[in-house]
Amino acid sequence: MLLLGIDTATRRVGVVLANERGVIVRVELGGATDAAPPRHAESLAPAIAWACEQAGVTPADLSAVAVGTGPGMFTGLRVGVTTARALAHALRVPVVPVPSLDLLAYPLRHAHGLVVATIDARRNELYWAVYRAVPGGVQRESGYEMGSPDELRAELEARGEPALLCGDGVLRFRSVFEGAGHHVTVAGPAHAAPSLTALAELAAARYEREEFCTPSEVLPLYLRRSDAEIAWDRKGA
Amino acid sequence: MTVVTHGAVETQALAAAVGALLRPGDVVVLSGDLGAGKTTFVKGAARALGVEEPVTSPTFTIVQEYDGDVPVAHVDVYRLERLQELHDLGFEELLDRHVVFVEWGDAVAPVLPADRLEVRIGLDAGDADARTVAIAAVGAAWDDRRAALGAALTRAGAGG
Repeated sequence: MLLLGIDTATRRVGVVLANERGVIVRVELGGATDAAPPRHAESLAPAIAWACEQAGVTPADLSAVAVGTGPGMFTGLRVGVTTARALAHALRVPVVPVPSLDLLAYPLRHAHGLVVATIDARRNELYWAVYRAVPGGVQRESGYEMGSPDELRAELEARGEPALLCGDGVLRFRSVFEGAGHHVTVAGPAHAAPSLTALAELAAARYEREEFCTPSEVLPLYLRRSDAEIAWDRKGA
Repeated sequence: MTVVTHGAVETQALAAAVGALLRPGDVVVLSGDLGAGKTTFVKGAARALGVEEPVTSPTFTIVQEYDGDVPVAHVDVYRLERLQELHDLGFEELLDRHVVFVEWGDAVAPVLPADRLEVRIGLDAGDADARTVAIAAVGAAWDDRRAALGAALTRAGAGG
């Protein structure tokens, strides 16, 4: 089994190649909290090519393509998900979609209490999901949510349990959460971007269980919805 | 605050005075009938922001990005049908780094940031060159710039 993983839900462009023994190559370009302009479209394909070259494999060797589906940056997710779909379609291999919030939480599975993964949603909002460590991983205890930092803080205060917060969303609003009381801890920049090792591990396990889908079934998690039509009063005139 | 301009050169000079006050993350919402001069206004403001390449109407591309002293995004929502399409364009991410101009922006007001500069350009039935440009700075993001904006508009109006 050879797996290619892609995550572009944050500013960070992430590519990983893994087999059943673990990670072979991992490429990360740009930090999740980087101020520089994101370069998902420019960087992703060369990063995949470089990873394959270093591993001495070609895309034809791939068994599946795994992709982080967000929620996160619209522009990044579109590049990542489209690339995963196109590669999988051309190679006739399945896609393993994994929410990027899950990839943030999984490396913290040895924490006591709750793990809260967050991704910057912009507009002073964040995406989040609440997880609890269970043997072998994390169990999600909430939906994939979007809201203000104050809403998340209120939810954590209502739960009243120790909580470890990670992701670029919480780093952006650090002061809101560091004032939330002793039971809330903010993980540092090392936990700002969805983990590519987690993507490789989770996707490999799902691939073995045949929990995958066809390329056309894979969609990014879009939580920001505005279903109204635009009320054009000048257009029909 | 309202300024009357006569001709594209004056409209662009007014826009340049406004443009000099803009920062990354600002949204400028432009409204006015077809031909009122929304794109003309953006051209003047973009030049003040250091954009050297020609600014053209984004009606068909929907979003045009320019590199200036700060990055500038010029959005035209005229061809959109649903508010969701603005999210799908990555509008929220443009606000990370760009000064964003939105033509016909009043039509998508529900999904735009509350803090914004509203620019309404009106035609004059009696004078084909005259434009009435009404500018309002909305929200706390403008609190520290409202006085400077007022002064710039007064100067531009007096010069015109």
